[in-house]
Amino acid sequence: MSSDVNQRKGIGTGFGGGKGRETLGDGVFKVNPITCQVLGICSALAVTSRLEKALVMGGALVFVLAMTGLIVSVLRSYMPRRIRMITEVAIIATFVILFDQFLRAFYYDMSKQLGPYVALIITNCIVMGRAEAFATQNPPLLSMLDGVANGLGYAMILAIIAIFREILGNGTLLGYPLLAGTGFEKNLLFALAPGAFITAGFLIWFLNTLNPPDSTEGSP
Amino acid sequence: MNSTPVLVIFVASIFTNNILLAGFLGMCSFLVCSNRIDTAFGLGAAVTFVMLFTTMINYLIYHYVLIPLKLEFLSYIIFIAVIAAFVQFVEMFVERFSPKLYYALGIFLPLITVNCAILGASLFMVLRKYNFAQSTFFGLGSGIGWALAIALMAGLREKMGYSNVPARLRGPGIVMLVTGIIAMTFMGFAGMLKLQ
Amino acid sequence: MKDSVRTLVFASVLGIVCSVLLAAVNLYTAPFRKANEEAEEVLNILSVLDIQVDSEFDSLALLEVFKESVRVKDLGDMTLYENVSDTSATDEPYVVAVPFSGPGLWGPIHGVISLDHDLLTIRGISFYQQEETPGLGGEIGAEWFQKQFEGKEIVSAAGEPGFRILKPGGDTDSNSVDGITGATMTSERVQSIIDELAKDLWKERSSYVQ
Repeated sequence: MSSDVNQRKGIGTGFGGGKGRETLGDGVFKVNPITCQVLGICSALAVTSRLEKALVMGGALVFVLAMTGLIVSVLRSYMPRRIRMITEVAIIATFVILFDQFLRAFYYDMSKQLGPYVALIITNCIVMGRAEAFATQNPPLLSMLDGVANGLGYAMILAIIAIFREILGNGTLLGYPLLAGTGFEKNLLFALAPGAFITAGFLIWFLNTLNPPDSTEGSP
Repeated sequence: MNSTPVLVIFVASIFTNNILLAGFLGMCSFLVCSNRIDTAFGLGAAVTFVMLFTTMINYLIYHYVLIPLKLEFLSYIIFIAVIAAFVQFVEMFVERFSPKLYYALGIFLPLITVNCAILGASLFMVLRKYNFAQSTFFGLGSGIGWALAIALMAGLREKMGYSNVPARLRGPGIVMLVTGIIAMTFMGFAGMLKLQ
Repeated sequence: MKDSVRTLVFASVLGIVCSVLLAAVNLYTAPFRKANEEAEEVLNILSVLDIQVDSEFDSLALLEVFKESVRVKDLGDMTLYENVSDTSATDEPYVVAVPFSGPGLWGPIHGVISLDHDLLTIRGISFYQQEETPGLGGEIGAEWFQKQFEGKEIVSAAGEPGFRILKPGGDTDSNSVDGITGATMTSERVQSIIDELAKDLWKERSSYVQ
């Protein structure tokens, strides 16, 4: 009973470094990979309305994951335990801002289309998750590679959803009119939010069927 | 300078431009956290509270500190820091003054810091160039809208306990599909505004 | 104690390194970002004036073309952008673009209208920024809606300045266009924006047209 109280009390003590937070961090980030993948994807679903946007977002993820993995790994023996999470967030945020600045300077049109979703990579479960789970335990180059691999996997998922959404919602792919002149009516539902959720849901079903997760609990 | 009336912003952020159903933000903490209505309400209330105040604070910092000093590029880091700090203060405050509330809420507060929607609200506020009043009601409305969406989903998930969801669709899959349908229904609210 | 000092030192060093790095990148990208933002406004005007550009994405080139081909004039509360290039599509005297904005249903609507030099006949219009309901009010950004404006006038047959957006399926004349089915409120908002613009243009017309 008292340990229960202590466990609860541990939540949040120490700015970002408390025991409860760590345990919670485990819960959120070390969870079933597909679920974490899903969590990471949900905030990027907004950019899946066009394949080009999804690919740029995927590229952003690869960059941020790779660099974060590298730097967090390099610093892993120096990071004080108390501020570990803040440090990770700071490193992630730095690279996100870097990417965002370059995007605004050299690919402005895309920057406007992506809007605030590039910045939201900072709160993306996958980035923090890999930093916590992998980069803090592994050497730099390996962590960087891990980042690239995860980023590419993520980009692939975004791209698949985007392909469906762009073709069905706009009749184009990467801007090239694929279905023009065939009497195809753009499906507005896929161009908008509901289509993204539904496509993602079906994709997850498909992926889970191919690669069943360890435990699908009883409750949906 | 955005001339949209505050009431339109408030209503839109709850219904037609719901930060979860139209903005895709904030599914993270929910999917992991719970599938019960009472916890959903608790989380929703906490998120609304944090969203409202952090949007206000971030507005003030953005317009009175970052812009004059030409440090807008640091806004993402500052916003996240403000959110984390605010949640921390709320935790300490609640723990000191109402341990009961603290034990009830305790599990939520760390979850809120990683909630994409809270950072998202501040980012949208900057992007759409809202003034202070607009930002405040945007933050409040977004929180209420998020809480509404979460509560709806929790209710539906409880009901789905009686349904025969295919094994591979359980979990994130079915939640996404259901969210898509809820998002569709919320789109229908677009016709409800009749302001002069 | 030593632990706290170490934490402090680490945090400070990290903070400084990150800030310096970001500030450096910010400084380096500043001129590009600024050019991009200016070019964005310019692109809207260039496209409604039918001035050809090689690439929409080269901001510096866009600004160059703008400087060479467009003359800016103030008229009352409005700003006019005159096409003075030799490469305009027609060989009539210059076309004039006038930006406008106003409140839509869900958010501000920004657009540009282009008129003949006599400030009477509409050449084209573009609503380049709006937050209306997709599929309904959002159709004001669609090509079919904007194309309707071509050739219309800002005065009615009876000589009254203004513009009307009618319920779809009605009889449109030289001073009105069809609205959007199911988007009454947006159509009303757009009508009041264009109507007011037409009235302003008519008011200032005498001081501009020779």
